[in-house]
Amino acid sequence: MDDNNFGSYFRRRIIFVMMIGFFAICITQLFNMQILKQPAYSEKSDENSVKPIYQTAPRGIFFDRNHKVLVGNKPSFTLRITPSTYDKKLNLYIEAILGTSPGYIDRILKQNESYSKFIPRKIAKDVSFKVIAWYEENASKLPGVDYIMETQRDYSFGIMGSHMFGYTKEIPMEIYQHRKNEYDIGDDIGFGGIEKTYEDYLRGDKGIKYMLVDAKQKTIGKYKNGEEDQTTVKGDDLILTIDKEAQSVAEEAFKDKRGAVVAIDPSTGEIIAFLSAPQYNLQDFAKVTTNEVWRELNNNPNKPMFNRASMSTFAPGSTFKMISAIAALEEGIIDTNYRITCGGGYQFGDRYFKCLHVHGTVEVETSIEKSCNTFYYSLVNKIGLDLWSKYAKKFGFGSKSRIDIPEEAAGIVPSTDYYNKVYGKNGWTKGFVISLGIGQGELNVTPLQLAQYAALFANSGKSARPHFLKGYTDTRTNQYVEVKPQTYDIGISKKSFDIVRRAMYLVVNGAGTATNIKSDELQISGKTGTAQNPHGKEHSLFIGFAPFNNPKIAIAVLVENAGFGSTVAAPIARDIIKAYLIKGNKEENKNLTAATNVQEEQIEH
Amino acid sequence: MYRRNRLNINYKLQDRFDLAIFIPTVVLIIFGLLAIYSSTFNHPTASGNFQKQLIFTVVAIIAFFITFSLPQQLFKSFAIPLFFASLFFLLAVLVVGKTVYGAKSWFGIGGFGFQPSELAKLGTILMLAYWLTYKSRDINNLLDIGVALAIGFVPIMLIMLEPDMGTSIVFAIITISLIFWSGISLFGLFIVLSPGFVVFASLFGVYAFVAALLLIVAALFFFKRDLFNSITVFIINLSAGFFFDYAFKILKPHQQKRIASFLDPSADPLGSGYNALQAKVAIGSGGFFGKGFLHGNQTQLRYIPQQWTDFIYCVIGEEFGFIGSVLVIALFLTIFLRLFKLSATAKDKFSVLIIIGVLTLLFSHFAINIGMNLGITPVVGLPLPFLSYGGSSLLINMVMLGIVMNIYKNRKLHT
Repeated sequence: MDDNNFGSYFRRRIIFVMMIGFFAICITQLFNMQILKQPAYSEKSDENSVKPIYQTAPRGIFFDRNHKVLVGNKPSFTLRITPSTYDKKLNLYIEAILGTSPGYIDRILKQNESYSKFIPRKIAKDVSFKVIAWYEENASKLPGVDYIMETQRDYSFGIMGSHMFGYTKEIPMEIYQHRKNEYDIGDDIGFGGIEKTYEDYLRGDKGIKYMLVDAKQKTIGKYKNGEEDQTTVKGDDLILTIDKEAQSVAEEAFKDKRGAVVAIDPSTGEIIAFLSAPQYNLQDFAKVTTNEVWRELNNNPNKPMFNRASMSTFAPGSTFKMISAIAALEEGIIDTNYRITCGGGYQFGDRYFKCLHVHGTVEVETSIEKSCNTFYYSLVNKIGLDLWSKYAKKFGFGSKSRIDIPEEAAGIVPSTDYYNKVYGKNGWTKGFVISLGIGQGELNVTPLQLAQYAALFANSGKSARPHFLKGYTDTRTNQYVEVKPQTYDIGISKKSFDIVRRAMYLVVNGAGTATNIKSDELQISGKTGTAQNPHGKEHSLFIGFAPFNNPKIAIAVLVENAGFGSTVAAPIARDIIKAYLIKGNKEENKNLTAATNVQEEQIEH
Repeated sequence: MYRRNRLNINYKLQDRFDLAIFIPTVVLIIFGLLAIYSSTFNHPTASGNFQKQLIFTVVAIIAFFITFSLPQQLFKSFAIPLFFASLFFLLAVLVVGKTVYGAKSWFGIGGFGFQPSELAKLGTILMLAYWLTYKSRDINNLLDIGVALAIGFVPIMLIMLEPDMGTSIVFAIITISLIFWSGISLFGLFIVLSPGFVVFASLFGVYAFVAALLLIVAALFFFKRDLFNSITVFIINLSAGFFFDYAFKILKPHQQKRIASFLDPSADPLGSGYNALQAKVAIGSGGFFGKGFLHGNQTQLRYIPQQWTDFIYCVIGEEFGFIGSVLVIALFLTIFLRLFKLSATAKDKFSVLIIIGVLTLLFSHFAINIGMNLGITPVVGLPLPFLSYGGSSLLINMVMLGIVMNIYKNRKLHT
């Protein structure tokens, strides 16, 4: 066996082939890794060592119609905890330095347990510089704790506006699941009100800084000298239709009251003031909101979280009498010569419907001026339920106004179908309809609907969808974009409107129910109302517009449990109208021409 | 005669000193120094390694030239004392050694450490070469095979106790290669290799173990040896399997993990698999030209722990790219092919076995280390000759090249 010799040719061959074979394998593998798969490995290598640091963009600012700041931003420190590396023994120290109750950190961590424990949780927003200084001194003993600089909503501009502005909060898991491409966990998102509706304008673009980190995640420096970094783009600033002075007067008037105010520019649908009282402090929501804060707000008997201005519904009382008047005039059921005699009430079948006074001879004008119930008991009977219902709906009742905040109720306008559905075909009587004539019964309207109703009288049937957004500045192009909703006309003759408008003028300026707010300067027209309240004292209501000849503002004021409309609601309406008109007259021309410039200045600085 | 020889030396350096080995070696050492510098400068704990390696290099080159100048006859007489001295040190290190990364394989002398297993490489190669060429040894005699295996097996066991898996494997490869080269028959080779095969199979579970044993039985039928021999071989194999199973259980957890991670790399991505993955990423992301010296982010951001030792090759892969990686491999190939050629020109069997031993040693280190860096073999802690940081390894490698060069120098002389 030749092969079995020392160092035989055969053996040399085996060793040689093994060596060359291994080299071939190595070169092939190197070629495969470094040339064919190089891009994939490069990406992995970059992923390894390049850590993106996100910077939240400041949200857009809210300006009022005169470019005064309503809601701004301010820089703030946010303290965070990353559960994966955090030691719960530190709770006590951190709670002490933050001045929160014991167990606070545990509660916050419990609230968002479902997120990955490697994601930092915001523990406290807007923490003081003292806390940050303490953190910096002790950082090495505080694993899993860090802080970031953020901008935070600043509500220190004199008005609260809680229900219209809405608030922002950390994106909840269920929303995050659907918008993973747009948001990261821990991002704020608009919640309620204008913040929600215009979230996409307001949020801006997050900035990304790419930093090089070593295997221990320690930052070494910038990646590619920051070439790939993306700068933050601030959200678009919104110019709202709100008038800061009018809103401020409204808020002042409702300091110790419950109720709502909605004021609208009748020709454009622009909302001048919007208030639901009591309000809640939006600044509380700018911090990390604990479950206690929520519980407290939700359990408060005054229901501060409830948006009364567009969500509370009630029977509008006498303010609704103009529906019957318009319907009857428009359908030719009555004319200005039509008159009845008010003997203090109306007998229908075996029921007697009362009036507040004995008005004697009443025609349509005085029926509104003096708010005679008897006139409307009989009139609505003449008009008939469904025709009446049709007119109520024409004025926007029973359906949502499509205002640009998500919180809105539609209310109820009864009709034959409605009663049949609720009570069964024979379960209700014509007596039900009689109450509707004076705005009582199963009629449910919102203050917002009443304001829009007033606007339609102000502008004789023409208006636009009520809205908050006048325009916005596109931060990317620095252009001001104006938003104009389409106007509409409810198609009722000017003749009918003229009759009713004149009557409304007399309510304040004649011998009517609201002469206490008569003002030659303001020329207010309106109608008082008292909404029956099954739970307590009646609600005081006033709707109106001014000035009579060229209305600039239409308003609805609801004061809960305040009794007659003229005594409480009407003076508040007057004050708001005054705040808007008197200043508005002075500044209006200047505003229109200087609008864009002013607004740019305020954004720049 | 003497005059003529001296003239030859003066005029033909290559005739006495093989530049085809020396120059690639020096280039590899330079590559190693660059890579060590790149992976340790500004490093919190290892920033002095470059300077240390420079000192090691100077010492190793001096040692190389000393070995080169010694009389050749000396090496044969060194074999027995050096081998037993090695065994003594291997035993001693288990008692007084320093534990580094879970293995007791170092003597601490001042600021430097020494690995007796490096010395044992030289001792074992010399001893095996001496034993296998002593008088008329019959390598196909079972007893002679047994003694040859024992010479390799004793240091292997001692090194396994440290424990240092990688080095044990290298010793096993050297022992088997030298026995193979000495002209063992196919059946002899079968006896030597089959236990290893069974052990490897047993790593994959009981079924693989049984299947391997069945293959052994089939092979025994094929060789048609007498019943006694066949049964002996079978029992050796069977007990090897059980012995390994027992040995696996006494392995240190990090070694068990390494074996498991080889069998299923995705099982432990952040443990022993982490280094292998990061090394692949480093090499792959290097691309054709590399990211440039000191510009590899995997290396500079210290993604690969202890990169200057076993993962030195991925520094080159990342910073010098495909070109640098292939150049390093080509330099190794040059040295190996040259050693291979020299083995044919050496004048006696002892010298031939030494060269083959050195070649096997360097090649197995190279193959296991590069294979690990490229992700084609398991993660076994072995340095890359001439490049990895480490004084003992560089010193012994250079001494062994010195012996080979000495043999080359004396190839034409008759004793």
